[in-house]
Amino acid sequence: MSLTKRIIPCLDVKDGKVVKGIKFVDLKDVGYPPDLAELYEKQGADEIVYLDISASVEGRHTLLDIVQETAKRLFVPLTVGGGIREKDDVRKALNAGADKVSMNTVAVQRPDLITECAQDFGSQCVVVAIDGKRKGGSWTVYTHGGRNDAGLDVVQWARKVEEMGAGEILLTSMDADGTKDGYDIPMTKAVADAVGIPVIASGGCGSAQHILEVLKQTNAEAALAASIFHYKESTVRHVKDYLRENGVEVR
Amino acid sequence: MPLNITMADYGVGNLHSIRKALELCGATVNIVDDMSLLKDAECIVLPGVGAFDKSVERLLPFRDEIVARLSDGVPCLGICIGMQMMFQGSEEGNGPGLGYLQGKVVRMKAPRIPHMGWNLVRSSDRIMDRMSDPYFYFAHSYHGAPEDYSDVGHTEYYGEIPTLFHKGNTYGTQFHPEKSSNIGLEFLGNFVKFAEENK
Repeated sequence: MSLTKRIIPCLDVKDGKVVKGIKFVDLKDVGYPPDLAELYEKQGADEIVYLDISASVEGRHTLLDIVQETAKRLFVPLTVGGGIREKDDVRKALNAGADKVSMNTVAVQRPDLITECAQDFGSQCVVVAIDGKRKGGSWTVYTHGGRNDAGLDVVQWARKVEEMGAGEILLTSMDADGTKDGYDIPMTKAVADAVGIPVIASGGCGSAQHILEVLKQTNAEAALAASIFHYKESTVRHVKDYLRENGVEVR
Repeated sequence: MPLNITMADYGVGNLHSIRKALELCGATVNIVDDMSLLKDAECIVLPGVGAFDKSVERLLPFRDEIVARLSDGVPCLGICIGMQMMFQGSEEGNGPGLGYLQGKVVRMKAPRIPHMGWNLVRSSDRIMDRMSDPYFYFAHSYHGAPEDYSDVGHTEYYGEIPTLFHKGNTYGTQFHPEKSSNIGLEFLGNFVKFAEENK
């Protein structure tokens, strides 16, 4: 099997700028989305994730002109999320140049939308983002950018979105996010073992070693990271060299 | 004269990347939603967006003309679903395909589907000449199962799957060259050159 593991820089976008914060608050501006996306492709990024983090909270739609500008400069896949509320939002994001669309809050509110989008656009472009937080011995789903407890178990919800037709899960640990202490290995492992669709591990990346750990110790297909790239603590190329030296197949 | 490509727009998904990529390779690209225009094309591109039935239903009324043109040797590239539509049918949908390639499109047998990400294509076809490390981007749950030996490239994913097809002057790819960074542009450049020589 020669499918390589993917390294995915994430652009959290607020008001048209890439920002980074800790546990979804206290945000700092780190750049313009199209510039960063282009830079990361040159470094060997396998894909770019673009999340409009304020759209869902503020109840408005994603700023598509910047998505379009980002897509125009890329020759790797672009996933767009944030503020998706209906099928037409998905269509618009795809028309703006997204290859996949990520839905989070709306998927919880209206799981049928997953199926409808999979039927029209194909499963491969429907990503369900799950924000999970530890609660006792398991994990609970949060929506609205991590503000609302949805009262769902993460693993059960992951199985459900697969059944509804999602093509991929973007799994973020709210406990780990922004800490740079490493990914939530137990949650990632639990979800990636429970489903038969690819899982992207997200939240907590502070080094290339963290990426190695999550890709070696779980069945996640991809690792997403933001601040280590935005703050130039590492590059995608460096991470990939490190993974290759440690026996993980990368492009 | 640059190669003049006519690209089908089935009304789902974006065609910007593939257009931009082909233009970078020196072609001019005309996107049409009137599928009858495909039969007058110098070179046809069937892009890789959407689900099987939704995409192919726009082409079916012109099936005979399109297949006749492909059989006449008009250069054509089908990407992902655009390649799958050239088969006789698909397990993904209920309707028939164009039937230029013999065989069906079948659901993959792997513990993790879709096959999503970058994987190696092994091929000795001329379109892959001198490509080192041909890792391409894939995002699919079905693949073509040809009965006419049109598969000229393969990829390992829980077994070997056919991922590059060549019949007459038609190429089909299971991968997305327009999403495969530099190696994808190299592939499309080779296709444009091939199409120019064979138009």
